Amino acid sequence: MNAGVGYAALIGVFAVTAVIGFFGLRISRTTEDFYVASRTVRPWWNASAIGGEYLSAASFLGVAGLILISGSDALWFPIGYTAGYLMLLLFVAAPLRRSGAYTVPDFTEARLESVTARRVTSVLVVMVGWFYIVPQLHGAALTMSIATGLPSWVGAVAVAVVVCVTVVTGGMRSITFVQAFQFWLKLTAIALPIVFILIVMGNTGLSVPAVAEPFAADPVASPAGAYRNISLVIALLFGTLGLPHVLVRFYTNPDGPSARRTTLIVLGLLSVFYLFPTLYGVLGRAFTPDIATGGTPDALVLLLPGRLIPGLAGDVLTALVIAGAFAAFLSTTSGLVVSVAGVISQDVLGGRVRGFRLAAVFSTLVPLVVALLTESMQLAGSVGLVFAFTASTICPLLLLGIWWRGLTDAGAIAGMLAGAALCGGSILLGRALGPGAGPMADFLAQPAAWSVPAAFAVMIGVSLLTRNRRPAGITKIMTRLHAPERPQAAPTR
Amino acid sequence: MSAKDEDRLSPADSRSPQDRPGPANQDRLNAEDAPGKTPPRRVRVTAPRSQASRAPSGYPVAREVAEQSEVGQVFVRSLIRSQLRLAVVVAVGFLLILLAFPLLLAWVPGIDRAALLGVPFTWLLLGVGVYPLIGLSAWLYVRTASRNEARYLDLVEDE
Repeated sequence: MNAGVGYAALIGVFAVTAVIGFFGLRISRTTEDFYVASRTVRPWWNASAIGGEYLSAASFLGVAGLILISGSDALWFPIGYTAGYLMLLLFVAAPLRRSGAYTVPDFTEARLESVTARRVTSVLVVMVGWFYIVPQLHGAALTMSIATGLPSWVGAVAVAVVVCVTVVTGGMRSITFVQAFQFWLKLTAIALPIVFILIVMGNTGLSVPAVAEPFAADPVASPAGAYRNISLVIALLFGTLGLPHVLVRFYTNPDGPSARRTTLIVLGLLSVFYLFPTLYGVLGRAFTPDIATGGTPDALVLLLPGRLIPGLAGDVLTALVIAGAFAAFLSTTSGLVVSVAGVISQDVLGGRVRGFRLAAVFSTLVPLVVALLTESMQLAGSVGLVFAFTASTICPLLLLGIWWRGLTDAGAIAGMLAGAALCGGSILLGRALGPGAGPMADFLAQPAAWSVPAAFAVMIGVSLLTRNRRPAGITKIMTRLHAPERPQAAPTR
Repeated sequence: MSAKDEDRLSPADSRSPQDRPGPANQDRLNAEDAPGKTPPRRVRVTAPRSQASRAPSGYPVAREVAEQSEVGQVFVRSLIRSQLRLAVVVAVGFLLILLAFPLLLAWVPGIDRAALLGVPFTWLLLGVGVYPLIGLSAWLYVRTASRNEARYLDLVEDE
């Protein structure tokens, strides 16, 4: 690949991110500006920003790569990513906004009136954030080495530096604009090349012959395969509503109804976006199956336009895809850094803007070091594990906290710890045993199907045993969470 | 408070600066009125972030009172119940249809070979067909949830 094209794309994305971040800086002044954009973000902006933040390396590169290697089974990934937002809309969006808390730990403290429960939640949120940043940086490393031929660590470091600078200077407000812009950049970057390829195919036929049947019949679904798919869908459905960087976005809606409207728009945006990685996967199976055997299926989206369209047009389209991929790493990473830094600064450093900046630097550095020390695995797969972890810890806390008066602080802590131990332990055990796990391998590698119900059961059980610990102000809290805030709310707008 | 009372109260009345909207302004006025006194030091008034804006501005006191009453709590509980029932119905409905897809593909003979414009039915269903279903569920939910809230507001405001 032409390295000049790669450099041009990278410099373009970094420069635009910095410029928008800088203009955001000029209007962000107070602590509220920094954390939640003063809650003045309109639904369309907010929805684009959520889309921008959510569509990570796994969505932009990983889904297509997975379809390339495992065919129609991989279609469950985008379904789960999108349907997770449906669950968020149904169970969390409006009440969470009405809680008035800024972060998940804030919500925990307000709902359970317990500082210990708050601390446990904070630790989990920080862990989830860091686990999720690492695959983003791996994706950046892969893309950088493909785009420019530089050693792969350069990509991870470049993304970390740009994110750090944007977050430290602008906070959430500029992040909102950057994210919204990056959603549309990502959508253009993934849609234009594939549309172009399809038009060329329709008009002239491609010079590259199809070497394989893209929809080759998959092997008959085994029980193990069915378990994997079900467990994956559970992780994605319930993991989305616990993701801290997604949740922090809901505080930027003016009220509950607009939080719902935002989620509705997000669902539309995601549905359109995920058609394209699927198309890449299908075309990849037909024309370039060698990318899968070459060991880097995640690079499919980056390589396909150049392979199918020769000459300048191919170079331009490749540049566009590279820009889109970096937009994905930047936006997801900065969203995560904002939410992790928000939690750290508030719990450890006193909640001032200065503390937030310090925390932002710290919360970029830790995952960067981890990313540089670890080997990259399949992007979509490793992000799926993070979803399983949030689904087993933060999801039960939110669902029971919002809808069940009986949740106590002891129950919440026990449930979260049990979920974290079961899910994390099982993934680690599966990794340690490797092929030695035999028939248990799937149960260990995809724990969500049993670890999520287990976490719920522990949370409910311990809460029932500690009934006397129900917070005194529960009536008032439940009213605040569910009563609509505008006296004359129009039914639908 | 009558107009006369208002006159009698100096800007530096007994209320603490925190209760006033603009403590800095009050301090300045205070200093001008009594030039002999040194102006009090500016105090930065902060609150823990977690407490901020938990009461949305514009939340009517009358409504807050109505909601805390026994009847009000009945309304709140019934609102929560109806919203939860709605969310669970939509979620379960959606999941059942989603679950039906693989079952359909596994059990209906020949469907794995059916194709539209060369694209197998499996791929169309999972790659495209699920998304309108998600959108439809979401739209139905938002419409009904807003109606539940409007009905609740009618009840509370009648109280």
